[in-house]
Amino acid sequence: MSTSTNILDIKNIEVTYDNVILALHDVSLKVPKGKVVALLGANGAGKSTTLKAVSTMLASERGKVTKGTIEYDGTSIEKQNPSQMVGLGMVQVLEGRRCFGHLTVEENIIAGAYSRKLSKGDINQELEKIYTYFIRLKERRKSQAAFTSGGEQQMIAVARAMMAKPKMLLLDEPTMGLAPQLVAEIFNIVKELNQKEGVSILLAEQNTNVALKNSDYGYIIETGRVMLDGTAQSLLSNDQVKELYLGISKKGRKNFRDVLKEESLTKKRIN
Amino acid sequence: MVEELLFFMEVLVGGLLAGTMYSLVALGFVLIFKASATFNFSQGAMVFFSVLAFVGFMQDFNIPFVLAFILAALLMVVVGLCTERFVLRPLMNASEDTVLMATIGLGYVLEGLAQAAWGVEVRRLDLGIGDFPVPWIADNLKLFISALDITAGLVAAIMIIGLFLLFKYTKIGLGLRAVADDAGAASSIGIPLKHIMLLVWSAAGVVALVAGCMWGARAGVQFALVDLALKALPVLIIGGFSSIPGAIIGGLIIGAVEKVLEVYIGPFFGGAIEGWAPYVLAIFFLLYRPEGLFGEKIIRRV
Repeated sequence: MSTSTNILDIKNIEVTYDNVILALHDVSLKVPKGKVVALLGANGAGKSTTLKAVSTMLASERGKVTKGTIEYDGTSIEKQNPSQMVGLGMVQVLEGRRCFGHLTVEENIIAGAYSRKLSKGDINQELEKIYTYFIRLKERRKSQAAFTSGGEQQMIAVARAMMAKPKMLLLDEPTMGLAPQLVAEIFNIVKELNQKEGVSILLAEQNTNVALKNSDYGYIIETGRVMLDGTAQSLLSNDQVKELYLGISKKGRKNFRDVLKEESLTKKRIN
Repeated sequence: MVEELLFFMEVLVGGLLAGTMYSLVALGFVLIFKASATFNFSQGAMVFFSVLAFVGFMQDFNIPFVLAFILAALLMVVVGLCTERFVLRPLMNASEDTVLMATIGLGYVLEGLAQAAWGVEVRRLDLGIGDFPVPWIADNLKLFISALDITAGLVAAIMIIGLFLLFKYTKIGLGLRAVADDAGAASSIGIPLKHIMLLVWSAAGVVALVAGCMWGARAGVQFALVDLALKALPVLIIGGFSSIPGAIIGGLIIGAVEKVLEVYIGPFFGGAIEGWAPYVLAIFFLLYRPEGLFGEKIIRRV
């Protein structure tokens, strides 16, 4: 892959918080233009930190990239701040949705266009386009965002980010705490945005199975290091991934009941 | 009977109009509370600083009234700019308590600067509006209401309408409300916190100047203005810290209640209950309606 086809190129970054806490040891990853890349791992593995390093939101949490380089669209992001990154077409959807609770759904979405110089007419046109992807939000546009459901709030957060007309979206755990039905709905929208709007996507997820099924490529990180990477297909069929992240062993599905059964068997043997 | 009713009306209207003066001071607090989620202890000092500069420009440099007002307003924008750059930006990741303490410090700096530049004596501010009853109202309605009170009421009304329109219908207003809700999320979609902070502190500075003019015309431009601004605290507790209409109505309530209580109940306590009655009212609000009349309820989905 030549560099020009990658919209994002992270090379060997190390990140520390408060100058002492090492959050990322050595993470390298690439996002090809127009593709969906999944960043997988457990809590505390460094997924959010990686995304925040890219969107330059680390500074507001006293974090710092201490080694390595991050190139977005061919240029280093070292000296940028979050609002400049948005101007360059990189928008992060933060973990936990973070809607503006006291604003209406529509005001939330319009706020996403803050960085662009648009007339009122342009904004309405953009809004209508966004609503074609988020039909459910159009019905609820006048409600106060704090009173919408978790799934709707996630949609607001993504719709709001889309109003900035991003070339690249960073999604931090977009399906956290959502019912399976909504998880599928969110991923459908994400895929649609990727295909119709040509937005490149880097998403952090714990929901390994769904994330890989909706991505082109995946990286698995553990304790601040990339342990494994490959095409989504190859990861889905990788035995180690199956065992550790998908809960499937070679013998078949391994569930809690099986584990209990095994345990009681060993106990009997000991007795 | 009619005379008693007229007297009551006079006390009430006088109180309401005096209340708008509190509202004006409270407005400055609300602006900053909305954006920084912190109580700005330096607001009183800003009132003192701005109006002293205004009077100083006129009296020491013989600058005409309008030009002096514009200069003082510009000076408050510069103060806002410096506050953002030297106080708020370095404290960007600090807790709200830290920012609160910083505003106390900022207050002392402003008080000191104002006195160093313009001296410590009480100055007279003549707005050309007398603090005496308007003859027309006195003749026709038999109510004795000060012209200065009426002006303060009108000014407060204009400012609240202006600020309401600014917040509700402009882009920067939407940005400000977004920052007030979640500053991190606002910055993630490219709303520059720097600009919003600068706008809010400058606006609060200009509001302080207007409030200072009204108070200065009544009580003289003096150091006591700093403490007077603390009367805004019960106003805010009653109206709600984050609500502009709340600041206005809270001010009216405080103004009316303290005057009526002073006149009718004051004698039983030996007078001068004006000073503490508002705080008693505030305590009741804290107990039974801590978000104030118009404050944004803390919304928590369960």
